[in-house]
Amino acid sequence: MFGLGRRKIAEEPVVEPVVVASTAANEVEPQHIALLQRWMALADMQQRVISTLMSEITHTSAFIETEADALSSRFQRLALSAEQQTDRVQSLTKLAVGIEVDGETVPIDRIAGLLEGTLSDVVQKILLLSKDSMSMVYALNELNVNVGRVDQCMAQLNSINKTTNMLALNARIEAERAGAAGAAFRVVAQEVRELSKATASLSGSMQSELDSVADGIASGHATLQRVATIDMSENILAKDRLEVLLAALVRRSESLNETVSDAVREAGSISTDVESMVTGIQFQDRTKQRLEHVVDTLKVIDQALEETKASTAADVPELAGDIKPDTEWVKRLLDRFTLSDMRARFVAQLLDGQPSDVVPYEQTNSIVPSSSGSAELF
Amino acid sequence: MEFRFDNTQDYVHVVGEFTFTDHAAFKLMIDRLFEANSSSVTMDIGQLQFIDSAGLGMLLLARDAAAKAGRKLVLRAPTGQVKRMFGLTKFDTLFTVED
Repeated sequence: MFGLGRRKIAEEPVVEPVVVASTAANEVEPQHIALLQRWMALADMQQRVISTLMSEITHTSAFIETEADALSSRFQRLALSAEQQTDRVQSLTKLAVGIEVDGETVPIDRIAGLLEGTLSDVVQKILLLSKDSMSMVYALNELNVNVGRVDQCMAQLNSINKTTNMLALNARIEAERAGAAGAAFRVVAQEVRELSKATASLSGSMQSELDSVADGIASGHATLQRVATIDMSENILAKDRLEVLLAALVRRSESLNETVSDAVREAGSISTDVESMVTGIQFQDRTKQRLEHVVDTLKVIDQALEETKASTAADVPELAGDIKPDTEWVKRLLDRFTLSDMRARFVAQLLDGQPSDVVPYEQTNSIVPSSSGSAELF
Repeated sequence: MEFRFDNTQDYVHVVGEFTFTDHAAFKLMIDRLFEANSSSVTMDIGQLQFIDSAGLGMLLLARDAAAKAGRKLVLRAPTGQVKRMFGLTKFDTLFTVED
């Protein structure tokens, strides 16, 4: 075990009778000394363990405090971020509801209504235009018929005029044959011829006017044909397509509204959750206090052990001097550690007697199976 | 466009496509339709496949002529593109449209 090896207390029975009377009041039996030495060694090692534990706990407490603070501020940033998201999402609701025009928000369904009204109006105007165009086509057709009839009249007039002229000519010839007796007749015949000439001239003017009218009608007819044959049916059908589109737009706006409402609700619940998380993190305050109590208790135990050691050593002079450390059970203890840095610290302080900060406290866990570790330690 | 009168002379079938170029034929048909003694005359457009805006205008003129002649004008069985056009132009508010 630890070098005293002469007597194993558990195995050999006491051979010498205990003679209390012949020993001094403060003399102790050898087997008792051995036992006491074991207790002293145990107490000593316990003190070392206690000291190591105290520094381990203090560091852990500080670590928790730092991490809790960091977490707390991260969560508070998160809460702020969530709030900003909520604001953004709420501004989206405005977009979902309508379109901003000249500083006024026009709701989507009103836009649909306005467009539908405008399109209906256009369709009605197209119908009216088509009806009036066709009406003009029929009117011009009638005019053409009238012009045709007037043309016939003109032809008859010209024909009559020709006959009149012929008659007047014949009358003049007869008047010449009649000599002096036909003088009056000759004058009348001449007048008739003049009249005929005038009629022919007038007839010519009328014909050219009529021709102008006919040309005008023909031109109007051609224009009207162009107007009336513009097929507006495609434009009318476009209204149909637009109505389908508008209905889809209104539906999209509604579904956007729903999604945005969900988002706002979700954002609200995130904020609430974060607030409770921040509150929960404040636990570290109580934890710190509890750990401080633990450390304090250990200190008390340490002191008790020290006093007992001191008074024992004072009563039993054989116990004075260096105590050899009891390492066997310590090694069994260290085998149970999974954190390699923690085990290294305990080894250094318990077995090598080094100060508590010789091996740094790692921020992250590194779980190592207990059978690994540097060869020099075990 | 082609048209076929029933024996009753107040019922006419209109077949094919009704566009601007049919304006002369249409006038003849309408004149003959309103010569019948009935107070109500019917245009069966079940076999009319297409009507353009000129055709719609001509129907509106026929409506005016019917009113002037004291007749009721009924349009029967519009289908397909014709039915769609009637819907978009709300013809059911202007004419008696039957299925």
